[in-house]
Amino acid sequence: MSVLSRQAVSVVRRLRRAPDLELETALGGAVLGLFLLVALAAPLLAPYGPHAFSGLSLGRPSAAHPLGTNDAGQDILSELIYGARISLAVGLGAALGTVALGLLVGAVAGYAGGPLDALLMRLVDVMLTLPRLPLLILLAAFLGSGLVQTVAIISLLFWPSTARAVRAQVMSARRRSYVKMARNFGGGAGYVLRRHILPAVAPLIAFGLVAAAGRAVAMEAGLAFLGLGDPTAKSWGLMMRFALNLPGLLLTDRWLWWLLPPGLCLTLLILALTYLGMGLERRLHPGLRR
Amino acid sequence: MRSRIVAYLVTLWVVLTLNFLLPRLLPGDPLSALLDPESSDYVFDAEVRAALEAYYGLDRPLAEQYLAYLKGAVTGDLGRSIRLNQPVAGLLAVHLPWTLLLTGTALGLAALLGLLGGAEAAWKRGSAADRLLTAASVVAGNAPVYFVGMMLLILLGAELGWLPLAGGRTPFARYDGPLAAIADLGRHLVLPAVTLTLSLLGVQFLLVRNSVVGILGEDFMFVARAKGLRPARLKWSHAVRNALLPFVAHLAAHAGLAITGAVFIETLFQYPGMGRLIFEAVGARDYPVIQGVFLVVAVVVLTANLLADGLNARLDPRLAEEVGR
Repeated sequence: MSVLSRQAVSVVRRLRRAPDLELETALGGAVLGLFLLVALAAPLLAPYGPHAFSGLSLGRPSAAHPLGTNDAGQDILSELIYGARISLAVGLGAALGTVALGLLVGAVAGYAGGPLDALLMRLVDVMLTLPRLPLLILLAAFLGSGLVQTVAIISLLFWPSTARAVRAQVMSARRRSYVKMARNFGGGAGYVLRRHILPAVAPLIAFGLVAAAGRAVAMEAGLAFLGLGDPTAKSWGLMMRFALNLPGLLLTDRWLWWLLPPGLCLTLLILALTYLGMGLERRLHPGLRR
Repeated sequence: MRSRIVAYLVTLWVVLTLNFLLPRLLPGDPLSALLDPESSDYVFDAEVRAALEAYYGLDRPLAEQYLAYLKGAVTGDLGRSIRLNQPVAGLLAVHLPWTLLLTGTALGLAALLGLLGGAEAAWKRGSAADRLLTAASVVAGNAPVYFVGMMLLILLGAELGWLPLAGGRTPFARYDGPLAAIADLGRHLVLPAVTLTLSLLGVQFLLVRNSVVGILGEDFMFVARAKGLRPARLKWSHAVRNALLPFVAHLAAHAGLAITGAVFIETLFQYPGMGRLIFEAVGARDYPVIQGVFLVVAVVVLTANLLADGLNARLDPRLAEEVGR
């Protein structure tokens, strides 16, 4: 069994042993699981394709279209169901990208120490003080819109907080006597990193992934809402943008089935990730549980 | 404090350089496309094209472009808007006050309510009120700010008709006096400011609550209680006084959050600030304006950082001693 999978098993075991799996954490996990299921089973659940012109323009809710149709005559419920795929794909992709970058920089800085560490941490400081969204907009405007670009831009901007946490953990693990012992007995850097440092950092990775996924889902929707997302990937943010583009939308009751559902789905998914992340964070720092 | 100022200047230089390099290094060469007759982004207006060429100076060596750019940034020459054919600096000067009004109001309100509410909730930790406020804060702080804004807009603006739907003031209005003008500005400010306040309050409430809860467990609180101090004094002079330090230390980060929120909120409410400006510039691929907004917002956030650092040094005698030396 590889170290990583052994690590995963031990994390799962530790989570299961936890005396009180709080209600909020469990609910967060359940909601996230539900959205994952919907995203995976989208072709089975959705009555139409997300781009199919299946009805009249701006139809009210009916048996054929439970949430009505948009201005182009596309079924809103189907858009909503397929939209889960976009949000979750971006969330997963950007979470992996963010944590991979943060892990790399944090581990190198924490393990190397010295001037390299100082340089990398100044970089982290600078990146954490820059206003994120305007920089995100600037990058998106120049890099072009596409899901891959969105994932790349979010990963590039959000790694510093993970890097800082990983660095702190690596530095403290490095000072432990068993790590010093392993090195005294001739353990190489690779061996020590894999065998002793990685297990110390693993719980941080779990939290980092969930936190990054939440931020990425919110940012993707935000960019789509601002018109900087992939115009062909119909995400919840893009649905809201299209809905708001209809003049006078708020003066009729059309917002009830066009604007509210994507907004609620987005909020629910972000909150699920937030609560899951808070649960994992409490597990990391038992001091927070007061 | 000197090291803080050096760090501030270094970050400022990074921002300026990033702003210069990004459009020139990124693939696709978006700037050249503006001047290339074959491209779909070609700028047809000859006068605008000449201004672009002069500002970006893409035919000159990179070092020369960089120096010209730095000189322009220092003297306030940030190029011309492609969409409006106006100097970017002038556009920024028109839009910045609106954003400062919105974010300043929201930050002030959220800080006040967050401190009072957070201290109260921590004092009665575990009570029903504490749990309710904490849950509400998680929701308010994490829900997409434009969705919360839409719901408020629908409820208070469209359904009840109490507040204006969009804009910073009534178009073409002629006011009878300064009071009428302020009332009109205020009415337009309510919805955007409430939306932004809610989102910031969610974050600040949790920060204050959690720091006060942590402080309540400290030894000095035990001693203070043993001395027989009155509860109000315990709460405000001992617990909240110490919670002020992390609170102020995070204020700079909250200024960044406020800017992020303002971009969405100004877009949604068509509020005439920097967020609205960058949104409209993005739609028109108006690069000089996007870059100008980024630059100004970065400078504002950096300055907020520096001010928060200075304030924290004043509040924390230990830090003040270090600074004095």
